[in-house]
Amino acid sequence: MGADPLVALLAACAQGNRAAFEQLYRQTSAKLFGVALRIVRQEDLAEEVLQDCYIRIWNRAGDYREGLAAPMTWMASIVRNRSLDWVRRANPEVIDVDGEIIEGVASDAAGPLADLERSRDGAALARCLRELEAKQRQAILLAFHDGLSHSELAAHLRQPLGTVKTWVRRGLAKLKTCLGEA
Amino acid sequence: MDLARNPELRERLAAEFALGTLRGRARQRLRRWIAEEPALAKTVRDWELRLAPMAAAAVPVQPPARVWRAIEERLGRERVRPGGIWANLAFWRNLGLVASGVAAGLIAAIIAAPPRPAPAPQPVVVRVPSNEMAASYLAVLSDQKTQKPMLIVSAGRSSNELWVKTLDPAIQVPDRSLELWALPPGQPPKSLGVIPRAEKMTALKLVAAADQALGDVPALAVSLEPSGGSPTGAPTGPVLYTGPFLKYW
Repeated sequence: MGADPLVALLAACAQGNRAAFEQLYRQTSAKLFGVALRIVRQEDLAEEVLQDCYIRIWNRAGDYREGLAAPMTWMASIVRNRSLDWVRRANPEVIDVDGEIIEGVASDAAGPLADLERSRDGAALARCLRELEAKQRQAILLAFHDGLSHSELAAHLRQPLGTVKTWVRRGLAKLKTCLGEA
Repeated sequence: MDLARNPELRERLAAEFALGTLRGRARQRLRRWIAEEPALAKTVRDWELRLAPMAAAAVPVQPPARVWRAIEERLGRERVRPGGIWANLAFWRNLGLVASGVAAGLIAAIIAAPPRPAPAPQPVVVRVPSNEMAASYLAVLSDQKTQKPMLIVSAGRSSNELWVKTLDPAIQVPDRSLELWALPPGQPPKSLGVIPRAEKMTALKLVAAADQALGDVPALAVSLEPSGGSPTGAPTGPVLYTGPFLKYW
């Protein structure tokens, strides 16, 4: 895997290079908007989240450390964090427009885990996700991608709240152990 | 809950914060702990980076062009870093506030007011039902520098809801909150609540009907505060927008 061109763009942003920032935006905003939209579910809100996050990315580009995570991972965690702060919704309906994530989870084959395996930081995580029990994996992927809370997960999966909490807790603990061994 | 002595719970909360299942007040509470405790911040960060690669599976959606335009505009404006604390009066002078009577009164009031440990009241957010304008209080708050109108605030005389319309959604700053203040004459500023993000038109709950709560208030101001609002009950950040509070009847 060659050097990630986003690393250089972030470094240029840290030095105040606005052209680099625009390049960075052009190359990453669709992915990050997808992440935000999926969690906050409202376009106007997702647009504001995205705005906020790019301002933050610009201001904090100097904090990025290549050794810790790929640029996309770093930026996605900023966007997720912000989206989760803003999400406020009445019903737990999962949008999953394309069905891709749920089906991918069910089939265990292509889909999100395959995408994950191709990404720099994702291979180990994908392997460890595959090692989880299917219900633990499904709960974690739904929580992550659709921004579902415990009670929303419980409603969506039609399971008692306590059961779902246990799946999530055990799944996360196993993930950590598995990633630690990687 | 003593997080420091319960590593298992720490780990679980950090993981669920990063995963996103920790929500609402629990999330805000953990965020405060994170701010106070670097070790917890690192645990959370580790979890965020552990899980964030999953975002690679997100389906890309092209954002509308206005998002980039708004970012550019904000970067132009944020040349002045709002790092200022209330005590930094130079920031005020730069804003040209001292010249205005309202602002001078506000500064005097703030210096005189002892800090009170009252958190800002949480606003109740409701969508506006109609655009009818009965006998109302009305304020247009303008940017101190550009004189550009930024917010419209209104309340029916007997209503205990104060409507806030943000004219430029880009006024919200990451990691900070905008807090609305009533400036009653001869008294310290009174918080009317944090202006919610992202909503074009929102309502803040008043303690009483507008006639009682705000009848004697000649002006309103918006200050930049730590996320969630002033921790002291008095403004702690720079005043960005002010305007006279008028009776529209």
